[in-house]
Amino acid sequence: MKQNNTSPHQASFRDPSGYMFYDGDVLRRAINPIYFKQYNALKDSGFFKTLIKNKLLIPHTQTTVSDQQIVITPEPIAFITNPYEWSFEQYKHAALHTLKVHKYALSKGFILKDASAYNVTFHKGSPVFIDTLSFDFYEKDTPWRAYKQFITHFFGPLVLASYHGTEIFKMLQTHIDGIPVKLIASLLPGKSKLSSTIYTNIHLLAKMERTHSEDYKAETKIAKLSLKAQNNIIDNLFDFIKKLSIKEETEWGNYYDKTNYNDAAFQGKKTLIEDWVTALNPQRLIDIGGNDGTFARTVVTKVPHVIVTDIDSNAVGYNYKQIQQNKETNMLAFVCDVLQPAPGIGLNNSERNSLVERLKGYSPDVTMALALIHHITLSGNVPFDRSAQFFAAFSKHLILEFPTREDSWVSSLLVRKREFINHFDFYNQEAFEAGYKQYFDIQKKETVPGTKRVLYLLKNKV
Amino acid sequence: MNFLYFDPGLGAMIVQAVVAAAAGVLLFSKGVMYKIKGFLGLLKEDDDAYDSIDIDEKEDIDETK
Repeated sequence: MKQNNTSPHQASFRDPSGYMFYDGDVLRRAINPIYFKQYNALKDSGFFKTLIKNKLLIPHTQTTVSDQQIVITPEPIAFITNPYEWSFEQYKHAALHTLKVHKYALSKGFILKDASAYNVTFHKGSPVFIDTLSFDFYEKDTPWRAYKQFITHFFGPLVLASYHGTEIFKMLQTHIDGIPVKLIASLLPGKSKLSSTIYTNIHLLAKMERTHSEDYKAETKIAKLSLKAQNNIIDNLFDFIKKLSIKEETEWGNYYDKTNYNDAAFQGKKTLIEDWVTALNPQRLIDIGGNDGTFARTVVTKVPHVIVTDIDSNAVGYNYKQIQQNKETNMLAFVCDVLQPAPGIGLNNSERNSLVERLKGYSPDVTMALALIHHITLSGNVPFDRSAQFFAAFSKHLILEFPTREDSWVSSLLVRKREFINHFDFYNQEAFEAGYKQYFDIQKKETVPGTKRVLYLLKNKV
Repeated sequence: MNFLYFDPGLGAMIVQAVVAAAAGVLLFSKGVMYKIKGFLGLLKEDDDAYDSIDIDEKEDIDETK
């Protein structure tokens, strides 16, 4: 393998077993000699093959083998989402997925040595495990080394979200190695101690961690744990997580039941979008503020890869359910707040890329922002040229729906400004066009029939 | 000893014995309840889309024939 023109992946440095790197545009994984024994065992026993066949592990091919290094090339993933961008259902499935992989590993004499939530992402409509080197040999009667990591990355955040809502997942942005056990325990209500699963896996764990925090010389003997006992832990966590749910009412949950447009207008908008998108023949499309994917779904069969994001975790969760039911392997849903997109976190702020960085990398041919601009402008107080700048950073074509001042939703947002309503006189089509013309050319402009909304097709000037 | 590049947390290693015992009791009682409910015809279908924890390996066996 040529060693020039390669650069290490910024997220891949913690595990001495190997690392990811870019070979030109292709992402590959190098395996160090320290991990050869494990890798060969996993490969030769058919372990990788079964996991890949069952869609649990990202498929890979072996590229080169030498005494110094083995290189494998995993199947490319269109867009990486991070745990703080998942809906409750997605987070839950990622956790169940991790337990399933570990349980299978145990049955074959291996373990999952690392239970980081970043080892799972969503690909082809389902969760997939992406760290091929996260396995090691099982040693008889040893406890699960990644147990605490599973609690801080998965179990803790999920239990917290079931009490406090999915906003909890955003805590992962400030805690890259999961929410500390002590913090999880302190945020849970007292009644959570009544559950033997929560009590032992969180409260008791927090207590034990405190008791043993001063074992600097690693002198305390680690208790043995039989394979059966470890399987009990995993099975019980799996059952418990599978039953977890949240009760969250949001403004968007039943958005389309509440909107002011009738069926004809709804159809009219769908037809316009379908026609415009089809004419552009995009390979990748992103719908920002796309709710449960209703409008993106009108073109899902025509575009090879579609992303739908929304600020509302419930809408994203509902979309994810539909993706699974309809087996839409080319659609990806995740949570994003345009006014506060996920930042770059971890070492050098680059271990987990910011949303804008990832969007630039994804480079969608078409970006849709339908009935989003009034929220950005009126709720977020963002001037038109600034939101234009945001979209222009990653979009080639932008399909934007502009609800005029006469639209009921806009007038409601304006009325709520009360005595400051005059500060928002700039919210009109002329000012909008002037702001967006700094970055885009207006290619098409049409009123959505039966509504007070105008659909624009904009082309990036760059 | 497997090499490990992060601290597993000593407390977390020790606590697993207790966690497993509690889980064992729970799983056992669930198993009993499952049998009773099954007998009385009270079993409900699971509404979560994620399937079971176990991998179906039958296909692999077929392929090696």
